Amino acid sequence: MSQDDTTAAVATAPPPTDAGEPVARVEDLHVTFRRAGADIRAIRGVSLEVAPGEIVGLVGESGSGKSVLGLSLLGLLGGSPRTSGRAVVRGADMLTAGAAERRDVRRLHLGAVFQDPMTSLNPTMRVGRQIVEAAGSEDEAVRLLKAVGVPDPARRLRAYPHELSGGLRQRVMIAMAVAGTPSLVIADEPTTALDVTVQAQVLGLVKRLRDEIGCAFLLVTHDLGVAAQVVDRVAVMYAGRITEVGPADEVLRNGAHPYGVALMRSRLSLRTDRDTPLLALPGSVPSPADPEPGCAFAPRCTLAGPDCTTTPPVPVEVAPGHLAACVRDLAEIRAFADAVPAEEPPAAGTSSGATAPAAAAVAGTDDGPVEEPAAVRVQNAYRTYGVGSGIGRRRPLQALRGVSLTVARGEAVAVVGESGSGKSTLLRLVAGLERADGGTIELGSAAGAQMVFQDSGASLTPWLTIGELVRERLRSAGVPRAERDRRVAEALELVGLPAEVAKARGTQLSGGQRQRVGLARATVVPPEILLCDEPTSALDVSLAASVINLVGRLRRELDMAVLFVTHDLSVARVVADRIAVMYLGRIVEIGTADEITHRPRHPYTQALVAAVPDLGVEPPPPSGEPASPLDPPPGCAFHPRCPRATASCSDPGLDPRLAAQPGERTRLTACINLEVS
Amino acid sequence: MSALTGGVGPAAATAGPAAAAALRRVTGVPLVRLLAKRLVAAAVIVVALATSVFVLQRLSPLDPAKAMLGPGASASAVAQQRAKLGLDDPFAAQLGRYLVGLPQGDLGMSYRTRRPVMTDLGAFVPATAELAFTAIVLALLLGIFFAVSTSLRWPGASVLRGVLMAGASAPAFLLGIGAILVFYKQLGWLPASGRSSITDLPGGPSGLLVLDGLLAGRFDVVSDALKHLVLPALAISFGPSVAIGRVLRTSLSSEERSDYARTARAKGLTDGAVLRRHVLRNAVGPALSMTGLQVGLMFAGVLVVEQIFAWPGIGQYTAQSIPVADFPAIAGVTLLLGIGYVVINTVVDILQGLADPRITT
Repeated sequence: MSQDDTTAAVATAPPPTDAGEPVARVEDLHVTFRRAGADIRAIRGVSLEVAPGEIVGLVGESGSGKSVLGLSLLGLLGGSPRTSGRAVVRGADMLTAGAAERRDVRRLHLGAVFQDPMTSLNPTMRVGRQIVEAAGSEDEAVRLLKAVGVPDPARRLRAYPHELSGGLRQRVMIAMAVAGTPSLVIADEPTTALDVTVQAQVLGLVKRLRDEIGCAFLLVTHDLGVAAQVVDRVAVMYAGRITEVGPADEVLRNGAHPYGVALMRSRLSLRTDRDTPLLALPGSVPSPADPEPGCAFAPRCTLAGPDCTTTPPVPVEVAPGHLAACVRDLAEIRAFADAVPAEEPPAAGTSSGATAPAAAAVAGTDDGPVEEPAAVRVQNAYRTYGVGSGIGRRRPLQALRGVSLTVARGEAVAVVGESGSGKSTLLRLVAGLERADGGTIELGSAAGAQMVFQDSGASLTPWLTIGELVRERLRSAGVPRAERDRRVAEALELVGLPAEVAKARGTQLSGGQRQRVGLARATVVPPEILLCDEPTSALDVSLAASVINLVGRLRRELDMAVLFVTHDLSVARVVADRIAVMYLGRIVEIGTADEITHRPRHPYTQALVAAVPDLGVEPPPPSGEPASPLDPPPGCAFHPRCPRATASCSDPGLDPRLAAQPGERTRLTACINLEVS
Repeated sequence: MSALTGGVGPAAATAGPAAAAALRRVTGVPLVRLLAKRLVAAAVIVVALATSVFVLQRLSPLDPAKAMLGPGASASAVAQQRAKLGLDDPFAAQLGRYLVGLPQGDLGMSYRTRRPVMTDLGAFVPATAELAFTAIVLALLLGIFFAVSTSLRWPGASVLRGVLMAGASAPAFLLGIGAILVFYKQLGWLPASGRSSITDLPGGPSGLLVLDGLLAGRFDVVSDALKHLVLPALAISFGPSVAIGRVLRTSLSSEERSDYARTARAKGLTDGAVLRRHVLRNAVGPALSMTGLQVGLMFAGVLVVEQIFAWPGIGQYTAQSIPVADFPAIAGVTLLLGIGYVVINTVVDILQGLADPRITT
């Protein structure tokens, strides 16, 4: 055992014995759903305790059973599953207790925060009434809203959910959850639907509420960075079982189960090495309809042997309070964790040296013509939508307010921004799916642009086979009929899919496979530029890493440029040569990936970088939320949230333009108060 | 209109003070805007319908002048009559004259009754209005009943669904004839023709017998009128009610599974409270839309069913006007139904705005 004892002691939660009985205790829980004639074994023997005032993180990929565990504790499992074991909250077993008793436990001792505050709040009821349902009185509702940091709470009570911003909505959800000071709040992906700067604020709020109210939290999340920031203890779930549980720092830094180790390694952060391929987990999450008899992770585990596949491993204590369910020696796992993955094929690199000169050549796009041939050249693009429907009047939504961006041949540019920044609009304009209201968009060649979408499942026509979907573009590209089958097979092979996939339909594939199909369809006739709209944000970490590797490899093998839209700076950093940061319809800063992520200069970029959740990072929560593109602030649109704003920043006559600093070639920043070091 | 509002009572009642606040909201600028839009739509519809009736008149082989004077009339008398009616004027002039008269409430003179069409309609519309409103209210009530009773888990649910499907596939006139055979001829429970069996009816003020009876304190008139309304209203509303019920059932069950319903349960609310306070108001929207769509079909049903039940409404009036090529009467009825359709759908839109605050923003 090589871990540092003092670190562990600091990170460990107050021992349960100090605070009395655990508020929640899960004992050998099994939950099995019946779907289409098959048993879906969502949870297969989970035991976990939550001490009073403790924040427990429940981490895992989709399908691991983490949300089902949360719903079990709430007594809200839908679809009448078969259950065994116990899920006890304050003495009541939420699996077997009567409906009235479970209701009382929910009302008195439990709170719940769900992922999407827009759909989780009743859209036709004022938030005040919804809070009063939980809080009992309007005065209490006002007090709660104040406690969760909602400005002007008395007025907000009168608002409908759609009249609030995403962050305020989630604060309303949290206010409802902590009404009546519950013993335990189940928070299921509470920040996943929020912008990264707002996420940091909400996580800070969770921690503060625990300190003030003393309620425990069960924080369900797929994001290890989120878990690292607030939780005391973390439990890693895989295929319905807990693989590892222990103090957060200990589990995340010194993982004692190969799955947790692999998960941490495939995770992206701002420190991820850009020049080597990401460590994607091979294979995919096993189907809950047909679970492994032994360790569920064995098929994907480099350390697996024949002894792993017979019986599920028993959790053993590897450090104080740190249990891991793996039969391998700790030393062997640690060696695996520290191993440099030299055996990875070098073909999967994402950045390529060949494009660096191109990147340098296109600096200064904002002023002065560029001679280098470009894959796409956007000049001063404007796009305004009319929003509002039905009876209301339509208002202009300024999605793009003068954007210029040039992507060189073979270059990869990432566009980063929060909701309302206009990044997806920019992509749709380049794709030709929409027309700009002003400005020009020129594509470099007839090969054109192809798009890969976020929701790869929804973008595959359900009644066509994958082969037919991929083949479509060959016909319009004039490829002879005889050649098409071969080209389809080649495209599938290139994205790492077996040839049989051509006969399957979209619904039969996993999320990662569908995203590969999206890439095969886009590249079967290689485009000049590949447009990616958040292609990894719906994927689990291990799959996201493999898709990012794939984009990098395709880009080099097919010599395409890439324009990659993402809200995640750590993704942008590894996929792109240059990063453009957008705020409210404008590019506020553009530069090389390292310049943007390591030496951000615009105050907004600095806030974005600081808000990326990571191990050992305590972000200073940036104030405020992105303003509405319906009503962009005058002058520099970021000035209401900017720590460096001066009076001149809000001058309606101010038009901050992208400009380079003396001596810099690659970076442009649109700020009048730069601190130049 | 008040009858229709009453029809969605359960939804409105759960909304409570929120509905009152929503009403304040929709009575602001957005409501004026909606009404203005609908006025324009109504005007366009009126012009389009009037034009089509005039085109039909042009294409029709029937000569209103000949129809007025009878088969024995001489050619010169017919020609004289045609000139008198302005039938020999250019098409545009006839249409223009008609459209100019409309804003003053002048729908022309019926060739058959030789009275202003407006006066005729005034005499026949109350009977039809009473029947149509009863049918719409009944369609909504039955729709809610069907939605709830087919979504509950009880042994008869699937049988009931089958019966409803069969009933909805039968045309209104067949249901009317069947209802007469069963409830009048065999059982003798309900009357099968006319609006009332009472001779000394109260004279007004609305022409709606139920309302006038209530105002006059004549409860015999009220119950007699209601008895007469039951069978024709049922025949008209059955098909639409099944359609409304199906839509409502679908939206109820999907809203029951929504995230906000889960949030409400997580607060510790009872299933009943979740349904009444949260789910119902979110589920009525699609049912209201379907109601608006079904109103057009129900108007067609009214005209047919009035024939079967000898209901003295505009269905009868229309049936008598068509064989004698009484185009002013036909045009009047057509415009009335068109405007009625716009009015009902405007009411539906306002109710949807009351149910869902997002619609007005």
